[in-house]
Amino acid sequence: MIPLSAYTAVSAVLFMTGLLGVLVRRNFIIVLMSVEIMMNAANINLVAFSHYLESMAGQLVALFIIAIAAGEAAVGLAIIIVVFRGKISTNVDEMNLLKW
Amino acid sequence: MTFSLNMTFSDLLLLLPEIFLTCWLCVVLIVDFSLPRLPKERLAYLSVAGLVATLGCLGWFDVNHISGTLFGNMFVLDRMAIFFKVIILGSTILVILASIEYVNRFTLFRGEYYCLVVMAALGMMFMASANDLLSVFVSLEFATLGFYVLVSYLRDDLASNEGGLKFFILGVFAAGLLAYGISLVYGETGKLVFSDMTSAQATPGLIIGFLLIFASLGFKIGAVPFHAWIPDTYHGAPTPVTTFLSIAPKAAAFAILLRIFLVALVTFKPLWVSFLVAVSILSMTYANIVAIAQRNIKRLLAYSGIAQVGNVLIGLAAGTKMGSDAILFYILAYLFANIGAFAVVIAVSQAIGRDEIEDYRGLNRRSPFLAFAMLLFLLSLAGVPPLAGFIGKLYIFVAAIKEGLYTLIAVGLINIVISMYYYLIVVKQMYINEPMDPSPIGVSGPMKAVIYVGLAGTLVIGIYPQPFTDWVVSATLMFSNLIGPSATMIPPSLPLGG
Repeated sequence: MIPLSAYTAVSAVLFMTGLLGVLVRRNFIIVLMSVEIMMNAANINLVAFSHYLESMAGQLVALFIIAIAAGEAAVGLAIIIVVFRGKISTNVDEMNLLKW
Repeated sequence: MTFSLNMTFSDLLLLLPEIFLTCWLCVVLIVDFSLPRLPKERLAYLSVAGLVATLGCLGWFDVNHISGTLFGNMFVLDRMAIFFKVIILGSTILVILASIEYVNRFTLFRGEYYCLVVMAALGMMFMASANDLLSVFVSLEFATLGFYVLVSYLRDDLASNEGGLKFFILGVFAAGLLAYGISLVYGETGKLVFSDMTSAQATPGLIIGFLLIFASLGFKIGAVPFHAWIPDTYHGAPTPVTTFLSIAPKAAAFAILLRIFLVALVTFKPLWVSFLVAVSILSMTYANIVAIAQRNIKRLLAYSGIAQVGNVLIGLAAGTKMGSDAILFYILAYLFANIGAFAVVIAVSQAIGRDEIEDYRGLNRRSPFLAFAMLLFLLSLAGVPPLAGFIGKLYIFVAAIKEGLYTLIAVGLINIVISMYYYLIVVKQMYINEPMDPSPIGVSGPMKAVIYVGLAGTLVIGIYPQPFTDWVVSATLMFSNLIGPSATMIPPSLPLGG
C-alpha cells in the first residue's frame, strides 16, 4: 500500500511547481496553467486525505475545486483574449499602463 | 461529516433571501433580453426593487431572531451573517443607483451589468454565511468570478482590461493558495466546519494551511503584502465597480476572517495576535505613505482603503467580543463614507471625464454640494469628530487598549496624522485653488440620492451612534464567551456555539 506521505510529497512538489510558475513565467496563459497545477496539487491532497481519514468530505471538496477551476479558466481566457485584442501580447511585462 | 439533504420547508426558510434574489436575478435577465428596447435604467430600478425586498426579508429575520444552520453546518444564518448581508445588500443598492449614468459608457451588455452586480452580491451573501472551508471556497469564487468580468467591463479601454487581467491573475493565484490551504487543514484535522476545529493541535501542517488561507483572504481584503492588485484594479475598473469592490468583498471577507480567527482558531490566539499586529502595522503604514504620492483620486482612495483595512485588522488582533463589535461598527461607518466619496468621484468624472486630483481644483466653485459632500466623506475616512469614522476608530482603539496592544495603537494614531495630510491635499484643491474651468457640474437624481444617503449615514452614526452600537453588539453575541482579559485565560476546550 502506498503510504500517505507519498501522496503529500507529490502534491507538495506539484504545488511548488505551480507557485514557481506563477512567480517566474511571463506569459499569462502559462501563469493560468500554473494556477491550475496548484489547484490540482490541492485535489491530490484532498483525495488522499479523504481516503486515509475515511471521510467523504475531501473528495467532495476536490470535485468542487475542479468545477470552479474550469469556470475560472473560462472567464480568464475571455479576459486574456480581450487584452490580446488591444495589446497583441500576452506578456506580463507589457501590462504597464497602470503603475503607482 | 454527514450531508443530510432531506430538508424541510422551514430549513429552506433560512435560504429564503438567497433563493429570492436568485429568482429575481433570472427575472432581470429575462426582462433584459425579452424587452430589448426597454431603457436600461428601468433594469437598474428593477434590480434595486429585488434587493430592497431581500433586505426587507433579512430585516424580518433579524426582528424575529430567526437563525440556524443548514447542510451539516456549512451554511449558517446568525445575526452576524444578517449584519454582513445587510451591509452587502445596502452597498449593492447604492452602487447600482450610482452606476445608472455610468452604464451609458459601456458599448455592449448594458443590461447584463446589473445582473452581474446582483450575482456578485449573491456570492458575497453566501460568503457572509459560510461556516466551513468548502463553502468559503465556493462562495468566494462565486463572488470573485462576477468581479473579474465587471472590472474588465469597459471592453475598449486598455486600462480596464489591464486592471481586470491583473485582478484575475492574482485572484486565481489566491484561489490556488486557498485550495491548498484547505487541503492541508483538512488533512490535519479531518474537519471542514470551523466550530469542529477548536480541539485541533497546532501542527506545522495546520499552521501552514491557515497561513495560506489567510493569504488568500488577505488578497480579498487587500492587506499589505497581498495588496499588489488593489491600486491598478481600482484605477482601471469602471468607477462604480471600484466602489463596489472597495466595500462589499472586504466586508464579506471580514465575516469569514471573524469566523476563522474567533471560532476555528480561538485556542491559538497567542500564536496569531502578533502576526495580525504585523500585518495591520504594515498595511496602515505602507498604504498611508504611498497614498501621499498619488495623483489619481481612485488610486488615492485605493490606498486609503488598504489603510482602513489595517485599522480593521487592529480589531481582529484584539480578538475579543469588543474587537469584533468594533470591526462591524467600523465597516458600517466605512461603507457610508467610502460609497459617498466614490459617488462624488463618479459624478465629477461624469462631467469632466478624468479622475486626477488636479481636476478637483476649485470644485467648491463648480459644485458646492459635491465639494462639501467630499469634504465630509474624506474627514470621516480620516476619523475626525463628530463623523462616523471617528467613532469607528475610537471603538477599534478602545478594544485594542483593553487587550494591551499599545504599539499597535501608537502606530495607528501616527497613521491617522499621515492620512489627514493626503485627505487634506484633496480638500485644499477643492476649496482653496481656483478652478481651471469654472463651468458648474450637475448631479443626476439617483447620484444625489446616493450622496445624501452617504451624508446621512456619516452624520447620524457620528452624532447618535447608540442604536448602531446596540446593533453590532447584538450581532456578535456568538463571540460573547471571548471576554477574557488576555489570551492565556481562554481555556483550550472552550465550548463554542454558533
